[in-house]
Amino acid sequence: MRQTAELLDRVRAALRGRTVAEPGLPYVAPREPGAPGSAQGRIDLFRRKFEALGGTFLAGPAAESVIPALGELLRAEGVTALFFPEEDPASRSLADALVPFGPFLLVSPADIRQAEPPVSAGIQSAEFAIAESGTIVQTSRGGTSLWPGLASDVHVCLLSPDRFLDGMEDCLEALSGDPPRSISLITGPSRTADIELTLTMGVHGPRRVIAVLPSS
Amino acid sequence: MAQKRGISVSLFSTCLADTFFPSVCFATVAVLERFGVDVRVPLSQTCCGQPAFNSGNRKEARRMAAKFLSVFQGEEHIVTPSGSCAAMVKHEYPVLFRDEPRMLSLAYHVAGRVFELSQFLVDVLGVDDPGSTYRGKVTYHDSCHLKRGLGVADAPRTLLKAIRGVEFVEMEESDRCCGFGGVFSVKYPHISCRMADRKIERILETGAQVVTSGDIGCLMNIGGTISRSGYPVRAVHIAEILAGSEGAVP
Amino acid sequence: MEPRVRHFVRNSEKAFADRQLQVALSRTTAKFLENRAAAVAEFPRFEGARESASRIRQEALDNLDAHLARFITEARKRGAVVHAARDGPEAREIAARIAKEEGVSLAVKSKSMIAEEVGLNGALEADGVEVVETDLGEYIIQLAGEPPSHIIAPAIHKTREDVSRLFEEKLGEPYTEEIPALTRIARRRLRDKFFSAQMGISGANFLCADTGSVVLVTNEGNGRMVATLPRVHMVIAGIDKVIPRLADLPVLLSLLPRSATGQALSSYVSVLTGTKRAGDAEGPERLHIILLDNGRTGILQGKYREILKCIRCGACINVCPVFQSVGGHAYGWVYPGPVGSVLAPLILGLPESSPLPNASTLCGACGEVCPVKIPIPGMLVELRGDEREQGLKTPAEVLGMKAYASVMSRAGILEAFQRVAGVVSALLFKERKIERLPFAFSGWTERRDFPAPAPQPFRKLWKRQRGIRPWTR
Ligand code: SF4
Repeated sequence: MRQTAELLDRVRAALRGRTVAEPGLPYVAPREPGAPGSAQGRIDLFRRKFEALGGTFLAGPAAESVIPALGELLRAEGVTALFFPEEDPASRSLADALVPFGPFLLVSPADIRQAEPPVSAGIQSAEFAIAESGTIVQTSRGGTSLWPGLASDVHVCLLSPDRFLDGMEDCLEALSGDPPRSISLITGPSRTADIELTLTMGVHGPRRVIAVLPSS
Repeated sequence: MAQKRGISVSLFSTCLADTFFPSVCFATVAVLERFGVDVRVPLSQTCCGQPAFNSGNRKEARRMAAKFLSVFQGEEHIVTPSGSCAAMVKHEYPVLFRDEPRMLSLAYHVAGRVFELSQFLVDVLGVDDPGSTYRGKVTYHDSCHLKRGLGVADAPRTLLKAIRGVEFVEMEESDRCCGFGGVFSVKYPHISCRMADRKIERILETGAQVVTSGDIGCLMNIGGTISRSGYPVRAVHIAEILAGSEGAVP
Repeated sequence: MEPRVRHFVRNSEKAFADRQLQVALSRTTAKFLENRAAAVAEFPRFEGARESASRIRQEALDNLDAHLARFITEARKRGAVVHAARDGPEAREIAARIAKEEGVSLAVKSKSMIAEEVGLNGALEADGVEVVETDLGEYIIQLAGEPPSHIIAPAIHKTREDVSRLFEEKLGEPYTEEIPALTRIARRRLRDKFFSAQMGISGANFLCADTGSVVLVTNEGNGRMVATLPRVHMVIAGIDKVIPRLADLPVLLSLLPRSATGQALSSYVSVLTGTKRAGDAEGPERLHIILLDNGRTGILQGKYREILKCIRCGACINVCPVFQSVGGHAYGWVYPGPVGSVLAPLILGLPESSPLPNASTLCGACGEVCPVKIPIPGMLVELRGDEREQGLKTPAEVLGMKAYASVMSRAGILEAFQRVAGVVSALLFKERKIERLPFAFSGWTERRDFPAPAPQPFRKLWKRQRGIRPWTR
């Protein structure tokens, strides 16, 4: 307490005699013209940006197209284990539906918490999707776990059409006031170029991100 | 050819050109006179003070700047064949005199009247064809202070491309510093030379016979490296190419 | 990291000799610049965003007292313990105390320049805490026991063979030249550390005053693991990291990755507000935030306030032709390149850092790319001026400058000099070039010629040719 009070004193002293105006409004750069606006426009833009980052976007009727396609993708990635947050029924039912396309084992997050875990896909519902940058937003609201996107090899994000936003501004606005403990903006897979500038995916987090938008 | 009668220009010859490259000054005059400009040369001018300013010797820089302002204060247009000297007067004099209101307003007054040669030709005189002939494959090096300081990059290219007989080629990284930096080249010659090496590499890649620029300092550095190593290219000031009078002193 | 700024010249000569470093450097900077240029070209709002970002950062600093106080209040309200450190030693002491009180024996760390600035790892290790770097590049150089060569790509001076031999030797892993395999080794090795560490350490890219949030930007995702998995999260951040509002983030984030690596957005941005709450699935139970001054209030007070606007994107470093020639190691301190050449004298002191402000051609490339419009070249010149005022210039330079000013003060004196020079030159330098300059100028002509003075200076010739007319003065 004393230290921080002293720090503030020093800052105040440093600024003595300042002539600037009182804090103003946030400066926001004008939006790019032609921002989507319509719900479908947002989804289309998100898809374009997300795919440009190497993400895979699956949309369509769940049972007929999305789930079989997803199952195939996961198998191709060598995934053998699926996990999802306990409190997220939508991702649980997606995982259940995927099992027949396996062999996939449904595991608990704890099973992933080991040095040599099985190749896993973490499944969860995304809180928002930001069209402008192809970003998926996960927060800790409502006890949501970050696990599926944190430690899996493949991250499967379940989207719903009403969660698409134009830009990051809208997302932060929706979460401001009293923001949740953690807001995670995820834009593409975990990547590094630290060795010889060679882009490599999946250094700590997922090497692949798949967004799923099933139509009912 | 457009003749601009009635425009008078005061030549800011720069100490380097005056001492080392009189032909550049004569070429500058020749180009200006070709367009009917009345050129005067204030004989009491010396140096704009850039070496002192850039090395942090403000006292001496202020002394030089005050002298420059007193010599040039009444002039309508002040034209110089050196981008960095023009930028010095335009941008740094106000910095030097920030605490002296009277000098500051004089500095701003003069700053608004200073032009680098190609800038003056294109922006003030509206020249798009310098009306000259020069034989050779020419590439252009953007002087840092001319490009980033004064924002002049198109004017010299427009002029060079319009010269009969010039085959203009762009080099890669044309606006990458050549490593001169005034006092820098004396204090850190090893770094300066490496930067010059990279510049020369880019120049040689173009296969040009001539590299040109609007700054005496860059040309001293590039030219000096070329002459020592005997590279098959010449460093020539843009004024001399525009005048078609390389190296000539009348 | 122990500053070795004074040895800039020696360090840079060493760097020239290191062929591998040279190649890696030029590839890295070229790649980052190319990516940056493409990202900027694809972002029509860039200039507008730059202006906004510059104003946001300026406002944050001009009212830093209010914003910092707000940040402290909001962060505490949400469970954080906020500490203030006056300088490096105090920060180290606080960090060591936290580790001890929290019973930490293993800490995982996400890349932080500020931790380097104060030498945080050393302080914790001295107390028996194992600190593991989790950014791949940092992990590599930590294993090798070397300083970073680039703020964004710290291990860029290492080839895949180097990394592999390092992993073989230090970790007992089989040799491989596959980069993905090397990455997988690091993933596996570090995973274990993430799960068993009691404390995560990170810096902060921004601190939001209105919410007390800490913002972390990473590509690998190690930042969010460090901030999520261990029981304790320790953040160390300069007081200059404060921004007024969470709502300012989009503009700043539209510039930071584009300027740094040329990405529209980094893979992971985490906005972390307070400790784990009731009902949260995970998150640190304890959050310590160390706010570091270390000379920043002094900078805030003076004419260099704007350098604190810096968001550490590294664009000025990549674009700097001097950095491209000498590399990060030559600067001998945590922040290299143009931004470092301004920060080092202000934080370490001008006498300790005197080569740096001078080691620039003032080409202006840094100022041109800076996403928050810091006038870096002007600051370098200003620092050179301070050097003179504080009597730090060599007597030779001062004398030289005085002599120069005397000669140049009168056209007549200059002419007299030119006359002598012309005669000497005509005698000695028939080819109009000087191959060896004397004294302090000798370096110039080591690999270059210097032009010989003309036999007659321009004004003299002009006078003769045109005669003295009344207006020639
Ligand atoms: S000074 Fe500007 S360009 Fe350099 S690192 Fe800081 S923000 Fe980036």
